[in-house]
Amino acid sequence: MRYHCRMTRATKDNRKSLRKQLHQVLPKTCILETPEQTIPYESDGLTAYQQKPWMVVLPESIEQVQTIIRLCHKEGVPVVARGAGTGLSGGALPLANGLLLSLAKFNRILDINPANRSATVEPGVRNLAISEAVEKFNLYYAPDPSSQIACTIGGNVAENAGGVHCLKYGLTVHNILQLKIITIDGELITIGSQALDTPGYDLLALMTGSEGMLGIIVEVIVKLLPRPEQAQVILAAFDDVVKAGEAVGAIIAEGIIPAGLEMMDNPAICAAEDYAHAGYPVDAEAILLCELDGTNEEVTEQIQFVENLLTQKGATSLRTSQNTAERLKLWLGRKSAFPAVGRISPDYYCMDGTIPRHQLPFILQKISDLSKEYNLLVANVFHAGDGNLHPLILYDANIEGELERTEEFGGKILELCVKAGGTITGEHGVGKEKIDQMCVQFKSLELQIFHDIKHSFDPQELLNPGKAVPTLHRCAELGGMHVHDGLLPHPELERF
Amino acid sequence: MQTKIKHDFLQSEKGQLADKILRSCVHCGFCTATCPTYQILGDELDGPRGRIYLIKQMLEGHTVTKETLNHLDRCLTCRACETTCPSGVEYGHLLEIGRSEVEKRVKRSLLQKVLRKTLLLILPFPKRFAVLLQTGQLFRPVLPGILKKQIPAKTRLTKLSLKNHKTKMLILDGCAQPALAPEINHATRKVLDALDIELVSFSGCCGAINQHLSDEEKALVIIKNNIDRLIAEFDNDIEGIVMTASGCGAMFKEYPHLLRNDEHYKNKAEIIANKTFDLTEIINTEKLKNKLNVNKNLNIAVHTPCTLQHAQKLPLNIENILSSCGYQLSTIKDKHLCCGSAGTYSITQPELSAQLREQRLSGLMVGQPDMIATANIGCLHHMNAGSTVPVRHWVEIVAENLKP
Amino acid sequence: METMNRTRELQDHVRAAFNDKTALKIVGGNTKHFYGNKSNAKKTNVIETRIHQGIISYEPSELVITARAGTPLKEIEALLAENNQMLPFDPPHFGEHATLGGAIATGLSGSRRPFTGSARDFVLGSKIISGKGDVMSFGGQVMKNVAGYDVSRLMVGALGTLGLLLEISIKVLPKPNTEATQVIAMSQQDALITMHKLNQTSLPLSALTYENEKLYVRLSGALSAVTSAQKKVGGETLLHAEKLWQEINEQTFSFFTESNNKPLWRLSVPYIANIDLNENSLIDWAGALYWIHSDKKAEEIQQHAIEQGGSAMLFRTHQVKAEKNAQDCFMPLPAKIKQLHVNLKMRFDPRGILNYGRLYSDL
Ligand SMILES: Cc1cc2nc3c(=O)[nH]c(=O)nc-3n(C[C@H](O)[C@H](O)[C@H](O)COP(=O)(O)OP(=O)(O)OC[C@H]3O[C@@H](n4cnc5c(N)ncnc54)[C@H](O)[C@@H]3O)c2cc1C
Ligand code: SF4
Ligand code: SF4
Repeated sequence: MRYHCRMTRATKDNRKSLRKQLHQVLPKTCILETPEQTIPYESDGLTAYQQKPWMVVLPESIEQVQTIIRLCHKEGVPVVARGAGTGLSGGALPLANGLLLSLAKFNRILDINPANRSATVEPGVRNLAISEAVEKFNLYYAPDPSSQIACTIGGNVAENAGGVHCLKYGLTVHNILQLKIITIDGELITIGSQALDTPGYDLLALMTGSEGMLGIIVEVIVKLLPRPEQAQVILAAFDDVVKAGEAVGAIIAEGIIPAGLEMMDNPAICAAEDYAHAGYPVDAEAILLCELDGTNEEVTEQIQFVENLLTQKGATSLRTSQNTAERLKLWLGRKSAFPAVGRISPDYYCMDGTIPRHQLPFILQKISDLSKEYNLLVANVFHAGDGNLHPLILYDANIEGELERTEEFGGKILELCVKAGGTITGEHGVGKEKIDQMCVQFKSLELQIFHDIKHSFDPQELLNPGKAVPTLHRCAELGGMHVHDGLLPHPELERF
Repeated sequence: MQTKIKHDFLQSEKGQLADKILRSCVHCGFCTATCPTYQILGDELDGPRGRIYLIKQMLEGHTVTKETLNHLDRCLTCRACETTCPSGVEYGHLLEIGRSEVEKRVKRSLLQKVLRKTLLLILPFPKRFAVLLQTGQLFRPVLPGILKKQIPAKTRLTKLSLKNHKTKMLILDGCAQPALAPEINHATRKVLDALDIELVSFSGCCGAINQHLSDEEKALVIIKNNIDRLIAEFDNDIEGIVMTASGCGAMFKEYPHLLRNDEHYKNKAEIIANKTFDLTEIINTEKLKNKLNVNKNLNIAVHTPCTLQHAQKLPLNIENILSSCGYQLSTIKDKHLCCGSAGTYSITQPELSAQLREQRLSGLMVGQPDMIATANIGCLHHMNAGSTVPVRHWVEIVAENLKP
Repeated sequence: METMNRTRELQDHVRAAFNDKTALKIVGGNTKHFYGNKSNAKKTNVIETRIHQGIISYEPSELVITARAGTPLKEIEALLAENNQMLPFDPPHFGEHATLGGAIATGLSGSRRPFTGSARDFVLGSKIISGKGDVMSFGGQVMKNVAGYDVSRLMVGALGTLGLLLEISIKVLPKPNTEATQVIAMSQQDALITMHKLNQTSLPLSALTYENEKLYVRLSGALSAVTSAQKKVGGETLLHAEKLWQEINEQTFSFFTESNNKPLWRLSVPYIANIDLNENSLIDWAGALYWIHSDKKAEEIQQHAIEQGGSAMLFRTHQVKAEKNAQDCFMPLPAKIKQLHVNLKMRFDPRGILNYGRLYSDL
């Protein structure tokens, strides 16, 4: 069952010929090829990884994308799609011998259909731009990654992005109806439909979260939801992170599904407050932000209930938003928390493990222990209601060896998450970054079927090769290096 | 973000500052969302994150060509990216370093040189600018014909009979404004008179034009001259200087940064900056409200200039004054966007500038206003050329509604 | 919790079938045997999942339940009800012995669907046996998981053609505190307009269904929210509404039983579709699902559905089996999409032994 990486099949001549043909079909301003032009594309939101692409193209029409893909297919040159480049797993990390296909110019909202509660958008449309455009119909697009101001819907679909409001309203996969995809042979196909069910296999689910490895998304129809009549956020402060973690479980156990339930610890609170001036208590060890929405009556009732519950669970202070502006301000701090951490540290490494909620207090304790062991600070900001952790390991890339220590620390956290019955990535994707941890999460049979799925769409492995799914070969090598609990993770594989 | 700035540059004060700013950027990309040029062009290199990277590359010793120069030229210096950046990246200061470094490394085309030189020879000098306007020739290809409309305005101004007040402030006459729109300072005098403030003229250019066109040396000469004259004025019971063009105000407030390495001027610049006020900062709305007969039928869209919202960080001042005085404000879209005027941008980047104007105006028109109110002569002029409704300085609207 | 782990046995069974290329018909409670195509394989063995049953884990505060595929739906729903929770997608049982595996393999969802979600929306993880006899696990028991392709959701509605389901983890939700149903007499046209209007509001809706001049509006949530919504919606409050919803979901409602022997078609369409086949219909999902008894030609019905942006499938027929075999129950797929289906089938079940033909005659 050896699996060969076929990433480097294209020759120099292939690229030369591709280059010539691309210049014939694209305007000059849509092709970037000197290092000066391409180096700024070397990273996405995860700067720990850099790779200068061979060439960057910025097409403006679906026909151009089709032509580009056809030419790449013909010449065997790999393609990496890129949206806004906010990904945190190196999903849009370019290839030295490949084309980087930016969809940033596809930023038009094509149609809004309030009666069908749907909108048709191009892949480069920013997540937040959709909600802004449909606000006049009193509708919104529910998944709201913290990066929603900048990230694109194409990138959201490719990563199955989640967000603050996904606890109640679901992830990207729950909020899209239809995709138009360009397959590796350049065909334009429609997956899903405007109806709720579509005949055949659920290719829409398969495409969502496929990290640009199965096709290029060129159009998305999203579902829209009516804005709730009322929404309020409670800001609860705690003098102990573990207590805050326990309060999260308590709310859910009471049969309440908040619209959002987020947690931040002290370093994150301080950094976010410094930017957003949301009035976060900077002396608290942790805060919870709990949003409740629905009809006026319902929200009033639930706010009171949750306020009492949080007090019982040891909240040291409570504040409930009194108007929309205040509510949005409270969220602004949370949503800016990652980059705001840039105020207290030159670099951060964001982890994305997800665990069963009841493991929260345990994992938080473990992370704090590891932080001491590695002598690296951690700021915690996360989707507590979903059990989706985002420990941000703070480091300085200019100090030699610190990134390596950080990565090792991060790897430990992910393994802990798997051990606790969780997963290595809740919403940021595997990309380049967590490819080794995939060997911990899955056995070779599953990895093989992932490759099989890839081959069903892209037999030559030209779309974003080397991401998301490790080769069995790689896992075997890794297994040879790390022996876990005296057991090799893949005893069935031959060692190289 | 990791940096590997060239050793010798890193030794300089500029090198240190650039390194500090670059390292504070975490490459999250939030800023691209509010960058007007990225939103139009969709190329990383035309957004703040890409420009930061271009500057980083250059300072790290990679080859630079006209590419870097072009992408930095295309930046409006609107600093919307700074407002958006959660990490507190001082993009404006980095760009300043980037621009002066790229000028050293890349030669401009002859045409560009001539254009920039001409601008430098004319714009900062109020008299030369006025003369040119009257002949109305040089900029005919790039500046629309509204210029001619503007010139007779001077004659329309009524003579003011103003009282003497205890509170005295300076008012900057600026370079372009006295010729283009003398009615703005005229209206300001009227309104402040009603608020018991007396204004004393202070003429000159703030130095922004030279600064934007990377003529730092000349800029510093102008600035120091201003500082010396101002310090002398401040001795005579003057409380501060009022700016009716937010661009000039933003520039004055930048003086301490620009002179941070000048032992002699450092502290003086600080004093000037602290005594510089945008007109919106000194309006006592409670008092003003009672002196107005507000025209409630007027639906006003507010365009807050970038120099007011992103540079001076006073994003809501105009709206707050107008709405507390009882004016009806219309809804607008994308408040953060630049109109494309941006100093000399409308002349150096005419195409983009026109595109940006169109975009900005369509955002301002969503609530079908009767009028657009702003606070900077550059924006006012630039937008007027493309707008179907009049664009005015907010103080003019207020002045017209003063009770007799 | 009684458990019966028969993974090994099932795996051996599939492996044997793989080796001697015997087609397997996967059967759970055999309650949905009518759904999909009849197998056209010459030699077929039955593989029963009911032997593999039991709830593996259930932690109410985690909102997740994991159970073996053969576990009776009844058992799961009873346990959830004890904890005031529910399967949010209202899977139809269609009989006493319906199993979880059958519910997921068919992927059918009830009237709550537009407002709460479908079967596939709530699947978090699965363990399957592939057509080669390999046991594999995907997804997990946590709310969010993007490691690897979403194979678990791919299984939903695949009718067992890609793998035999062994275990499934499902997200569950608290039961709403209160439910009430308003019934308003109106014409179909008015009902559609009303449904679209209501569907754009933030009222606590959990069903919008129309049949025989009556619009049924179900409201679920906090007592205060439901009470105030009842006033806004208007109409009469229906007593014993639970029975109505149960009958609609299980197709024991008069509309379904009084078919005049005409085949039952299921049309999934956009909310705003304008379906006009001149036949008696029951409209569910706020206008996005039509049940229609009709003996019109399949092509005609399907063409109409396509024109309206949706699809139509032959759900039940009373005619002799042979006739049903004549064509696929599900609407034909565009060529390229079909190719992708075939590619996937080849990878999961290279010898085509799992429920071959049940979804499409060549899958
Ligand atoms: C500060 C910060 C906060 C964040 N918070 C969240 C959060 O709360 N929740 C969350 O889920 N994520 C979050 N993210 C991660 C990131 O924003 C998301 O993964 C987002 O979906 C990426 O979108 P993008 O447009 O930037 O895609 P990119 O980063 O450009 O690309 C991401 C992946 O999608 C592929 N791709 C992009 N466009 C297409 C296309 N048209 N067709 C096919 N493949 C494509 C790329 O190849 C790549 O694999 C955060 C990131 C940052 C920097
Ligand atoms: S928002 Fe700030 S930290 Fe993020 S990329 Fe832009 S400048 Fe850098
Ligand atoms: S200053 Fe304005 S134009 Fe320049 S990068 Fe920032 S947002 Fe873009």
